[in-house]
Amino acid sequence: MISRLRERLKLRNTRLSSKLIMTYLLLTVIPMSLLGYVTYTQFTRSIEEQIGEYMPRFLNQANSNIEQRLMELASLPDLLFNSDDMIAILRRDEEQSVSDRNKDLFSLNSYMSRTYLGGSNPDVLAVFLLSKNRFFQSSKVAYTGFDRDQAIAPYRYELSNLVEKPKIILPSETGLRFQNDVPYILIMKQIADTDNRRILGTMFIAVQLTFIDRILHDFEKNDKADLWVMNGKGERLYHTDPEMIGTFDAEIDRYPIRNGSFRTTGAGPQRLVSVTESAELGWVFVHSIPLKYLTEKTDLVRNVTVFAFIGVVLVTAILAVVLSLNITRPLKKLSRLMKNAEMGHFQVDHSLQSRDEVGSLARSFNSMITTTRELIQTNYRIEIRQKEAELYALQSQINPHFIYNTLETIGMAVEERETETVVDMVTLLGRMLRFSVGNKAKSVPLTDEVQHIRDYLTIQKYRFEDRLTFDIQLGTDIERENLYSPKFILQPIVENAIKHGLETRKVLDIQIGIGKEMSFRSGKQDVVYRIRDNGPGIPAERMAELEEALRSDTHIDKDSGFGLSNVNARIVLMHGPEYGIQLHSIYGKGTEVIVRIPALNGMEGLAESEGMDKSRGEEE
Amino acid sequence: MIARIRAWRFFWIFLALAVVSACGRGGADSYKVIYEMENPSASAEDGVAADSPAPHYRIGVVPKLSNTYFDVVKQGAQEAAWDIDVELLYKVPASTDPQDQIEAIRDLMEQKVDAIAVSANDPQALVPVLGEAKQMGIKIITWDADTEPEAREFYVNMVDPETLGRHLIDTLAWSIGEKGEFAIMTASLSAANQNEWIKWMKAQRQEYYPNMKLVEIVPTDDAPDKAYDAAKELLKKHPNLRGIVGNASVGPPAAAQAVKEADAAGRISVVGLSTPNLMRGYLHEGYAQTATLWSPKKLGYLTVVLARNLLLGQTPYDDQPVEKVGNIRVNGDMIIMGAPLDFTKDNVDQYDF
Repeated sequence: MISRLRERLKLRNTRLSSKLIMTYLLLTVIPMSLLGYVTYTQFTRSIEEQIGEYMPRFLNQANSNIEQRLMELASLPDLLFNSDDMIAILRRDEEQSVSDRNKDLFSLNSYMSRTYLGGSNPDVLAVFLLSKNRFFQSSKVAYTGFDRDQAIAPYRYELSNLVEKPKIILPSETGLRFQNDVPYILIMKQIADTDNRRILGTMFIAVQLTFIDRILHDFEKNDKADLWVMNGKGERLYHTDPEMIGTFDAEIDRYPIRNGSFRTTGAGPQRLVSVTESAELGWVFVHSIPLKYLTEKTDLVRNVTVFAFIGVVLVTAILAVVLSLNITRPLKKLSRLMKNAEMGHFQVDHSLQSRDEVGSLARSFNSMITTTRELIQTNYRIEIRQKEAELYALQSQINPHFIYNTLETIGMAVEERETETVVDMVTLLGRMLRFSVGNKAKSVPLTDEVQHIRDYLTIQKYRFEDRLTFDIQLGTDIERENLYSPKFILQPIVENAIKHGLETRKVLDIQIGIGKEMSFRSGKQDVVYRIRDNGPGIPAERMAELEEALRSDTHIDKDSGFGLSNVNARIVLMHGPEYGIQLHSIYGKGTEVIVRIPALNGMEGLAESEGMDKSRGEEE
Repeated sequence: MIARIRAWRFFWIFLALAVVSACGRGGADSYKVIYEMENPSASAEDGVAADSPAPHYRIGVVPKLSNTYFDVVKQGAQEAAWDIDVELLYKVPASTDPQDQIEAIRDLMEQKVDAIAVSANDPQALVPVLGEAKQMGIKIITWDADTEPEAREFYVNMVDPETLGRHLIDTLAWSIGEKGEFAIMTASLSAANQNEWIKWMKAQRQEYYPNMKLVEIVPTDDAPDKAYDAAKELLKKHPNLRGIVGNASVGPPAAAQAVKEADAAGRISVVGLSTPNLMRGYLHEGYAQTATLWSPKKLGYLTVVLARNLLLGQTPYDDQPVEKVGNIRVNGDMIIMGAPLDFTKDNVDQYDF
């Protein structure tokens, strides 16, 4: 149970490419090899069965042909009855003169020579006839070891009874040998005088084995096959290899059947052996052929198939590997990208351009990365801008020049003992400092912002006296509503106006108007500050530069434009691009700066600014 | 998921099997049977009869009477009975009278034989009793002399009657120079086989020998004494007689004896059916020229073998080889044993019956 679970886990953890390759193997290689194996074995088996079924039949046929031929040979003695003279000789009694007896021998021998050794029986080697102690013989080939006494002795007892059936005598059972050791068999047949109901004698016909050769050769021309005929004891009386004639087949008793086919499955080459047993003669016909010759052609087909199979497997395996790598490689790349993204490297990889599912996944991921990166960058910029703005505002608040100048003005007022002025200025300075230090929120009530700029201008008025005049018009509707405004948006503009205006003008007049206007950009009632001065104005090329600076968010420019663009950037970041600063200027006449912010009443403004604070805090 | 695990398991099992089977080769010599042939049909027919033990049949054989010829037949029948292991009941009738033969047949019926082979003295007279025997389940065949066909299964004939009849006239014609008077000595005027031969003897004479004249046909009743008297009577009655042909075994010896006593050797020729033993002396002395016959032993042997075969349900067929007899011919329901043998003074010593 545990091991199975482990196996399962292991499989689940295997790499996708391995799983794909394994699946491919399971689905193709194994079924194909199984199919090939089964087909091949079935085919060879069917060949075996066909041959195994056909060979015994053929052997049976050969067997009956040989039997028939033997019966023909065994009927040869009957030819003696064609000649009354020969029958008369055989019927004659033993008591005769020697010359008569030799005359009979001569006539019968020459008759047998004419009748049996002539043309129609080319296989007959010799004919012997034993009759009433007389021995007749006629032979084509010289022989030894067969005469009345020695050769026939073992069969003498059989001669007394009339036996119609011929008997086959094998060379091992007799001393008869022909010149050149011609292989032969001996057919023993009694000659019956049916009229007198007596046995006239026994004829022995020696037959060359060429007749078996001829019959078997018609059936089997394959020289790889062994064909032999043996008697029940295993003595081979005929073999396709003449050397083997007369040897014994030791296996004969181990043959599982005597009529049919079997396969040897021992050491050495396997052979298909077919046997039939002749009922008439008791002979066993054996055909033995190595299996590999039978399946030669099949084996060729098998080898070709195996090679083709291996080739196909190799090709398809390579394809499978390539294919699975094709699937898994983009996945791997993607996962690397994701890991990178997790680590904070938001790179886009456009190498995954395929149009399949992985490609679309990669594209989605890329666009996600892009979006994320943009979001991060936007947030980052906003943050920096905000910080910069705050820093700037802080810097402006505690501008040492301003404080130094103010303190100097206060000092002069103290010297001139203008106590009221001193008190006023110190009060104003103190309120300004409290405003800038005391409230950390980005948004402040609009009235506070206006109060702050009024304080600033008032202090400057003490310093520059008649050279500076200003006026602040606050719309009555604005006073009633509890509106909010970003902090420190007016001071940089006014500072700018004072700085440039006092350089060129004797008397600088600054008009500040605050009111609500319908905006066509946002489609709402917006709060609009207008700061107008009669300063030198802005030259056209400088104007273009400034407007460019306002539009492009760069804040590298640290000189005069810095304050304006900082204010503009802060408003845009906080409220969107439809708000911000507009510049109008006539060179030599003056400049008007319009600051547009959304009309947000107290709670809204606070919530918005705090929410942004909060979310920023979380991000950090 | 589980299916895949199974698939893997099968894969490993398959691999293991392949490895095992690859290593499994080698070891002791053994044989695997691929095909086993049903019993080879060659020579099966003969084998069946030889294999099943034949019941011990009782076969009754009835000759016409007892004489030299039928005694030799009995020897052959007895030899066959020993060879094929049946019991032979050889029942000789008292005389050639059909009534005596009927007696003999009834006797065999009482002894409950399985088959009766009869050489009929009269073709009609035996039909009823043979019918009765048939009712009892006894197989009936005839030999030597036939009955009406309905009474028996088949008839074992020694020779073709036409061949024999024509041949007998030929031997006579050769002896008497194809002209002159001749007489026929037959056994009984009712015996079917002899009448058949006489028919063909006449036909042959008609066809080839216009100068020969048949003067008389005399019966001998197969009795040597009667035959001798009849022969003497013939010589006396027909002074111009040139030849006597006998178609039953006692005829020619009786005629030869008559010729010897009349000292008519050379003037009167004697030929006909008889056994070598009866004729040997007359042939050597020149009182008879040719004797013609078949082997009666062989006839007895064949009759018993065929009767046994019939009991085993085997009917004879044309050119059938019968062991120790040779090939037989079958013509309808008549079996022909072979060709007739001629015995002359040159070869008569070769025969011992």
